[in-house]
Amino acid sequence: MSLADDGSRPDPGWYKRAVFYEVLIRGFADENGDGTGDIRGLIDKLDYLQWLGVDCIWLLPIYSSPLRDGGYDISDFFQVLPEFGTLGDFVELVEEAHRRGLRIIADLVMNHTSDAHPWFESSRSDPTGPHGDWYVWSDSDEVYPDARIIFIDTEKSNWTWDPVRQQYYWHRFFSHQPDLNYENPAVADTMIEVLRFWLDLGIDGFRLDAVPYLYEEEGTNCENLKPTHEYLKRVRREIDSQYTDRVLLAEANQWPSDVVEYFGDDDECHMAFHFPLMPRLFMAVRRESRYPISEILAQTPAIPDGCQWGIFLRNHDELTLEMVTDEERDYMYAEYAKDPRMKANVGIRRRLAPLLENSRDQIELFTTLLLSLPGSPVLYYGDEIGMGDNIYLGDRDGVRTPMQWTMDRNAGFSKADYARLYLPVLQDPVYGYQAINVEAQTRNSASLLWWTKRMIEVRRQHPVFGLGSFDELGSSNPSVLAFVREFGDDKVLCVSNLSRFAQPVELDLSRFEGTLPRELLGGVSFPRIGQLPYLLTLASHGSYWFQLTTEST
Amino acid sequence: MSGFALEQALELSLPGHRWFAGKGRTIAAVTVAASVTLVEGPVEARLVTLAVRYDDDEVDHYQLPLGFRRGELDDETQRSLAAAAFGEIDDDGPVFVYDALADPSLTAVLLDAIAEERVVGPLTGHRRQQLDVAPGRLLAVEQSNSSVVFGDSSILKFYRRLQHGRNPDLEVVLALSEIGSAHVAPVLGWLETTDPFPATVALLQPFYRSGTDGWVSAVASVRDLFAERDLHAAEVGGDFAGESNRLGQLIASLHADLIRALPVDEAGPAEHSRLATQLHDRLREAVQAAPELESRRVAIAAAYDEVGTLDIVVPRQRVHGDLHLGQLLRVDTGWVVLDFEGEPARSLAERTALMSPLRDIAGMLRSFDYAARHLLSEHPGRADLEYRAAEWADRNREAFCDGYTDVSTADPRKDAVLLRAFELDKAVYETVYESRNRPTWIWIPLAGIDRLIGRATGADGD
Repeated sequence: MSLADDGSRPDPGWYKRAVFYEVLIRGFADENGDGTGDIRGLIDKLDYLQWLGVDCIWLLPIYSSPLRDGGYDISDFFQVLPEFGTLGDFVELVEEAHRRGLRIIADLVMNHTSDAHPWFESSRSDPTGPHGDWYVWSDSDEVYPDARIIFIDTEKSNWTWDPVRQQYYWHRFFSHQPDLNYENPAVADTMIEVLRFWLDLGIDGFRLDAVPYLYEEEGTNCENLKPTHEYLKRVRREIDSQYTDRVLLAEANQWPSDVVEYFGDDDECHMAFHFPLMPRLFMAVRRESRYPISEILAQTPAIPDGCQWGIFLRNHDELTLEMVTDEERDYMYAEYAKDPRMKANVGIRRRLAPLLENSRDQIELFTTLLLSLPGSPVLYYGDEIGMGDNIYLGDRDGVRTPMQWTMDRNAGFSKADYARLYLPVLQDPVYGYQAINVEAQTRNSASLLWWTKRMIEVRRQHPVFGLGSFDELGSSNPSVLAFVREFGDDKVLCVSNLSRFAQPVELDLSRFEGTLPRELLGGVSFPRIGQLPYLLTLASHGSYWFQLTTEST
Repeated sequence: MSGFALEQALELSLPGHRWFAGKGRTIAAVTVAASVTLVEGPVEARLVTLAVRYDDDEVDHYQLPLGFRRGELDDETQRSLAAAAFGEIDDDGPVFVYDALADPSLTAVLLDAIAEERVVGPLTGHRRQQLDVAPGRLLAVEQSNSSVVFGDSSILKFYRRLQHGRNPDLEVVLALSEIGSAHVAPVLGWLETTDPFPATVALLQPFYRSGTDGWVSAVASVRDLFAERDLHAAEVGGDFAGESNRLGQLIASLHADLIRALPVDEAGPAEHSRLATQLHDRLREAVQAAPELESRRVAIAAAYDEVGTLDIVVPRQRVHGDLHLGQLLRVDTGWVVLDFEGEPARSLAERTALMSPLRDIAGMLRSFDYAARHLLSEHPGRADLEYRAAEWADRNREAFCDGYTDVSTADPRKDAVLLRAFELDKAVYETVYESRNRPTWIWIPLAGIDRLIGRATGADGD
């Protein structure tokens, strides 16, 4: 199917059924041989992503930037970072992706710019000039005292003194990332122009980075304020009135009960990440108890019809521990970060496979949960082949090493000299590219890559995974998580063993009496459901997906 | 219908039920003490109360809600009710008699009686709030009572053994419900009778479909520890101490609610001395039943003597009475305490008496000990793992007491003399129970006793 000639048949709910795949352009494929991945390299790999079966590619920032914060410090909203390519390359990427039925969304930072942005240069040097009021300036650094400091490792205050303008400027993140002043209508209008620019080039949507912080107000913690929501509603109106099938994904690292605010009344963002689910998946498996998961899902409020959660196991950032309690955070550190280098900010920087000690059955368990719990799953590049990390690289680079395509030079990522690579490819005996790469796994149908592909395929055949209701089933075994997803007649029962030991479970399925569970991967029919508790036995970390059918055999 | 035939059929089937507490005793006579017709027609339902008289002239009363179906049963009915059969009696042709709790069409009548506050002969239904009516199904796990779940929303606990007066389970949970305690499943309604004497028939509470009991979770943690032979209890992923701490907080908070909802008093030297006498009496009986206790008797008695000479005043209140990990239900939002009937073997007066809250704490501490050790009984690596088990038990017992202290501000470990005596009393009771029912487990309470008297006397146990 091609999206390009599909314009006459809009599919506004596509993101509710989609599987997302997060790509670091820098780390995916290097076409021009300069050691850094680029847009043309990604275009070359679109066939692979189509084969894998994902629906939408999520790109990290692609804009001009001095790269002091991985591109989240934008210095020109209307240009592609030259290392990545040109605007022309980007347009070609969108067209080629759409031709293959893939969509593209990209990160966009609306809250702040780089201090190298010409707007900031102009604002600091010419307080009365055209950009004088585009940032948040103050004579005192004691304004907004209730706003927490997010990067507690590096920043002492949300205010930094600017020797040029002789005033403090406000920044919720690094001091080289001044916050834009949304109170100024020119700023608010211009940022909508930025969105339009990229939407006109065909982009399918944005992940809006750091949205809770757009507006400030004395006496508050300066997060999730009403004017911020009103602005986002305005953005949504502008997009809905001029474009079809576009999506806004809010990055708000907050509790689900606060994040739902970003869905508005189906008139704000279409999607938001469910942050606390992820650390609790890890906690649940480590404790062999479903309750960390049950608890957070029970606390997750209902969301409007047109909205969807984005869920993930790992991404380019650290394993986020902000949404667990202190006691639980200590627990996570002890379990998953035995080496202090693995801690970063208040998180842990590991990829999925090393976090799970490279256990294939645990990787499969986590991926199975990711693909079946309510929300649209987001895969992180390389996790489909079980790539590792390099914790000795600085900051969060440890999980951003080059994609491992083949066992050839530089893992097939680049033809550049090894020393020129933006980060070294992994070479260790367990996770190195000689052992873990796409080519080898493509040839072995028992590989993690093929397994992942098959699971995505099954998910695609059952819209219920994206659209269905979620109903957790109880059982007397706390190590087994069982739930039913339902969408009309499409009913799927998912059962997972969170324990390292084989487990039996008796499920009360009397509500489905008379139906026949058919296992979704192999199509094997299981005994018909009766009145009595339904007995299943699960291998260690094993899972089942059953379709509940009313057919006669 | 011939009553004689019915009584015979019921008598024959009694020993096969887990709720029948008279196993091993000789039944002298079984008579119908009361019978109320609940449903008339081709499928008939009656609530029958049996008086079971043993050869020592003691009498127990059991409630049996019975279904009666005349004539040939179709295959479907036969299959679905086979497990509930009490037998077949002859009353101008065969009549199939079965447990009415297994028949949704009959249990609906019980729910309806509560929901509509009906009076049916000696029976009266009471409700605390509006109820949804949904089809009922009997929970497969048979315990000392039988439970029917209606829809996914409520559970009716049917007290098998009928006792004079209001069942403490209803009394305590109702009092806690009235003050809005968050730690129990609130009373939705109940059913009472006046025949053959005033008693609680059944209790309706919310059903927590996704709940699991604390015992299973604790055992999952122990199993995890045993699989990691080189790691300590504090280091393994399945560590339970966080939950144990929360359980300590929960019980402290429950005790505070019980103080608010029900009477309290204080115990001084006279009461301590009476308590010591009681403990000694129970020990004497236990030693006769379980000779393994003989070598430990003197040391245990010494611990009880210390109670008898205590010169302090301690608060007493209503307590749970039979608290252990299996009485705590983990639901999605936290923990709930179940089953306030008290120890089934004790008399109603004993179960409703005011006691030190340390009784419940002792129950929990023993329960952690059991959870840590019961997997070892058949474990080939028992000798190696005993150390790990002790580590797990200590860690979780401490976490529980820490959590309790956080909420109550009174550290139960400071009342060492009383707490030790209650723990010993519990372990002595367990020893007798194991020697009768699971002899291969008897070392678990004995090891607990040894630890307690070892600490008390400074010796290495026996």
